[in-house]
Amino acid sequence: MKPSRRTFISSTTAAGACLFDIVPSTVFAQPAPSDRINLGHIGIGGRGRGFLRPESAPLTKPNPNLGGSIPDRIQVPARSVALCDVDSERLDKAATMVGGRPKTYKDFRRLLEDKDVDAVFIASPDHWHALMMIMACEAGKDVYVEKPACLTIEEGRAMIRAAGRYGRVVQVGSQGRSQPAAYHACAYIRNGQIGTVQKVACWHYASPTGDWTPDSAPPPNLDYDAWLGPARWIPYNVKHTHGQFRWLLDFGGGQIRDRGAHIMSIAQWIMQADNTGPVSIDGRGEPPHDGMWDAAARMNIVYEFKNPDWTLIWAQPGETSAELPERYGAIYYGDKGRLTVTKGDGQDTRTEPQAMAYDVPCGGVEVFKSPGHAENFFDCIKTREKPVMHIEAGVRAAHLCILGNLSYALGRRFEWDPVNECIANDDEANRLLSRPGRGVWNL
Amino acid sequence: MKPQSEKFLKEIQDANADVRFGAWTRTGEMDPEVIPELAKLLTTAAPGVRRAAEEALKNMVHAVGKDPAAAKCAPVVGQFIALTADGHPTWVRTIALRHLSLIGGDETVPAAAKLLRNAELQEEAVFCLERIPGHAATQALMAALPDVSDAFKPRVLAALGHRRADEAADVCARALLSPNLDVSVAAVKAIGRIGKKPSGDIKLPKEDSLSEWQKTEFADSVLRYAEGQVERGNADEAVKIYKDVLQRPQEHLQCAALIGLGKANTPQAAALIFTRLHDRNRTVRITAGKVWTAMAKNA
Repeated sequence: MKPSRRTFISSTTAAGACLFDIVPSTVFAQPAPSDRINLGHIGIGGRGRGFLRPESAPLTKPNPNLGGSIPDRIQVPARSVALCDVDSERLDKAATMVGGRPKTYKDFRRLLEDKDVDAVFIASPDHWHALMMIMACEAGKDVYVEKPACLTIEEGRAMIRAAGRYGRVVQVGSQGRSQPAAYHACAYIRNGQIGTVQKVACWHYASPTGDWTPDSAPPPNLDYDAWLGPARWIPYNVKHTHGQFRWLLDFGGGQIRDRGAHIMSIAQWIMQADNTGPVSIDGRGEPPHDGMWDAAARMNIVYEFKNPDWTLIWAQPGETSAELPERYGAIYYGDKGRLTVTKGDGQDTRTEPQAMAYDVPCGGVEVFKSPGHAENFFDCIKTREKPVMHIEAGVRAAHLCILGNLSYALGRRFEWDPVNECIANDDEANRLLSRPGRGVWNL
Repeated sequence: MKPQSEKFLKEIQDANADVRFGAWTRTGEMDPEVIPELAKLLTTAAPGVRRAAEEALKNMVHAVGKDPAAAKCAPVVGQFIALTADGHPTWVRTIALRHLSLIGGDETVPAAAKLLRNAELQEEAVFCLERIPGHAATQALMAALPDVSDAFKPRVLAALGHRRADEAADVCARALLSPNLDVSVAAVKAIGRIGKKPSGDIKLPKEDSLSEWQKTEFADSVLRYAEGQVERGNADEAVKIYKDVLQRPQEHLQCAALIGLGKANTPQAAALIFTRLHDRNRTVRITAGKVWTAMAKNA
């Protein structure tokens, strides 16, 4: 029985309570700034190493690799105390980088059991993101999980539920939102400087096409079965694993997932679409004609949004901005002008001078200014507020990548219901919204 | 074989990658009779031809997958079912099961179920059945559970849990009695995901006998089960569970209990939440405050 306002009040009065609007201020007290956060790291290859906080690192040094920073801001004290990787070479290398005596693990569940660890950074390959993040929440850790958040729609749903179930803070690694240029572009556009935005056109260079490398036995330093985890078994190949998994649809999914999760997450933020999604997706493209990779080399995806109506385009390659001719970015087309925002990942995000010079007027639309992506995560661990790229936003950004790839792979347009998260009249496409795990690795 | 099928298969094996690409992109127009021939090419030595055959089979599936009632779907499914039989290479049978997971229906279930007891293919068989909607696939998984090895039972239980099959709740409850803790914990997880109370009394594994990680999984399953009770309108049952979880020492479990109580949204739940508004643990206190405020807004 749902309590009415009257029964709600009377029940709590019986428990020695009074009205709910007199919650003591201590409930929302500010954190002690001296609290140190102990970090665990799962997946410490190229990306994961960027998150390490060595014992010797000065607290005032900003980490540009984590997406923006305010140089004079003292970082929240956080130290890497535990490391995990299925590749022992990478594990040893990271332990040396961190210095001191970090605990090392090959099984991430042992790291999650470690009561000294407050929060984890997950920088494993994409096919592991969801399970590791969910299991980290089950173990009571706050989580920074790399983008794209999930590999399937069902994974995303489970991630949101896990974070909500345990009240954990989860930041997704689309760090463009923490970049100063993205903040300025967001403030500029949301305050109507280019009018009503009708189209956002993203461009990115094509995915690589690769060649043929024979399958082989995994190297002794790599636990290949653990690397595969929930993914379908395929023979070991050096060009399927570290760094190169991106070019396989079953593991990474190509540029649209790698960089798309950055560029489109900024678009989603600027367009205030974190709580919704497109209503139709039409993807076309071409895979490499030869070689071992199957992610689209070239593709063009058109997403239609409703209420408000606007179109998002992912073009690979697409038309580069004349104003800021970078290798990837997005052009926002409004009815009064347009604006370019380039990159949006850990690289140098840029936007045009008029946006950088723009100040939000009194009474204008304020936009959250992140102190840096990792710093924002650390702040939220203390305040228990949602970070700038919270899990719902991260999952919605991943949806764009997943649905774009799905339409491309199936070779057909479909209609998407962003509320119920299903596709109209397409049995196969709906089955592809989830993927059963392998062995013990199940949602 | 039709002349156009022969031409297509020749092009799939062409030395020129662009010719192979041109062929695999039009597989959907081909007669399903090409499927066995493409399957043979899955194990050929030439990697380019192997890939062309893989892509062609994918495209054949995608061409019929949208509508299972379409005329061409049944013959395609039939060809893939035939490829799961003994005598075909394991990799071919694996690929067939993966494709059947996307387009198979009840007609696929017996062939896949047969392989649940095949050590080499049981993982692919359960993958296939887990994805096929409907009662027949659930029944096949339930029927296989007593017979498969203890090592594989957790996988079958995970499939039943993933399918949220109410009808499987009692079968999972029986698996709780296994002396093998991996099996009994897998059964707890499955029941937690299904969210339906089994019909008889259930005997849960003793928590102090579990490993650290099994304790984590156990607690998570209890919370999922409680969520299921709320969703099924059985809030009082959920509150009992959350009240118990709230007494545990772990901060995140206390937070989870408070959040769950907020969703249960009963007077007793509100009273329990109130007791934590001044909790000594800051995170628990903040969580209680947020849940309290949200409940108040909805009251």
